[in-house]
Amino acid sequence: MKIRSSMMGLLPALLFFSLCLALTASANNGGKSKDTSTASTSASHSAQDDSMRAEGEKRYRSNCSRCHAAPPKFAPRMMATIVRHMRVRATLTEQDQRYILHYMTQ
Amino acid sequence: MKTFARVTIKFASLFSLCVLCLGMAFGQDNALKDAGVAAIKDEGIKAVPFMVNYASYFTRVTAGQVQASPSFAPLLLVPLGNKWLIEVKGSYADTFARNSKGNYEGTMSYGLAYAQVDYIANRYVTLAAGRFITPFGIYGERLAPSWIRALQATPLINPLLSGSSLGGMLRGGVPAGTDKVHFNYAFYFSANNTNHIVATDRSTGGRIGFFLPGPRLEIGASFQQLLQADRSHSAGIHAEWQPNPIPLTLRSEYIHSSGLKGSGYWIESVYRLSQIPALRRLELAGRAQQFYADPKLTKALVGKLGALGRDTNEADFGLNYYFNSDIRACASYGRQFALKKNANVWVMGITYRFFTPFGPTGGGL
Repeated sequence: MKIRSSMMGLLPALLFFSLCLALTASANNGGKSKDTSTASTSASHSAQDDSMRAEGEKRYRSNCSRCHAAPPKFAPRMMATIVRHMRVRATLTEQDQRYILHYMTQ
Repeated sequence: MKTFARVTIKFASLFSLCVLCLGMAFGQDNALKDAGVAAIKDEGIKAVPFMVNYASYFTRVTAGQVQASPSFAPLLLVPLGNKWLIEVKGSYADTFARNSKGNYEGTMSYGLAYAQVDYIANRYVTLAAGRFITPFGIYGERLAPSWIRALQATPLINPLLSGSSLGGMLRGGVPAGTDKVHFNYAFYFSANNTNHIVATDRSTGGRIGFFLPGPRLEIGASFQQLLQADRSHSAGIHAEWQPNPIPLTLRSEYIHSSGLKGSGYWIESVYRLSQIPALRRLELAGRAQQFYADPKLTKALVGKLGALGRDTNEADFGLNYYFNSDIRACASYGRQFALKKNANVWVMGITYRFFTPFGPTGGGL
């Protein structure tokens, strides 16, 4: 019981710490985002596309094959539904969802 | 015991809040890294509703008893806008077995695996409501469909948990501060429902996991607290690893239930012979498992759980042949070992799936 009460005391502290961390991180990133968007717009579109496709393939191989044989590429609009379904079912991250969708619809 | 349940619920709520906040904190850097990826979001692909139909036919021979069972499981996926998804999966099966007169007799069964509405609230949280598969371990949610599972025989520990729940769920996957570690979670609350087709227990619980995309390793833990009847709780751990150099998958799950059920584990390995061109469509699978029934469990209830005896060990070996990504032939042999009795478990069959889109799909690839 002592362990439980100490855990219940520890969690609000952790919550407070997390909130502070979230606020600090968002404040620090305010200025950086402008630089990043400028950099990304100046980058070559095809190079970016290639790197996204490579990253998408990597994420597709590491995530999809964990449970089942690698599926084929479906038509784009079906793929969008499948990837959304897998984001929920297999708790994919948002980045995984976007990269995999990009790779599977190329 | 009520205090324990209250503490569990509070703990789960506070923990999920911590997870959300930490995700927001550590996710900031990834948001910047993914500035380019944001462009993909609006590249104009509109999701289309469609139905995936799973059909299978299996012949099982368990301790000399032959069963033939054709089954059909349609899954309907309806995306709405960019954030909503409706998922409904039903199941229908006929099981033919010899009756006392020696004639084959069919028993029909049908059910609703899940019927849920998902709302992707943000990059950290997805809300789900309705009837859903209880998020516990990896087998129920990810590996159970017949076209996915490497061995058709269900693990002995599977009936220790309620398969589906009715209520609400918070879930998601986020990079844990770095792309090298992904954190995933699912917390739920379920209400009691006594309808025989969609029966659920009043319970709460959840699962957390850490996935390392580099070494392709996932480890996680699950917890379930029953809020009715004997108010038992179950805890489990799971792990999955796919070594990069070889097409091998190793999985394992352990469950301990405090109620009148038991505990046990399974370890499974699946090897796809993709490195040998002539055998690239073939997959080898093996599983070892042990089940320990609660000492108070009656013989009849042990049998109902699918185990041969109070303490049962089982070893299974299987072969899967992929004709293509939609059609697969499966065969496996297993042997159950219990005190003073052993039994063979043979399974042979085929799984098939096909897609029915309800709208233009945007062309083939």
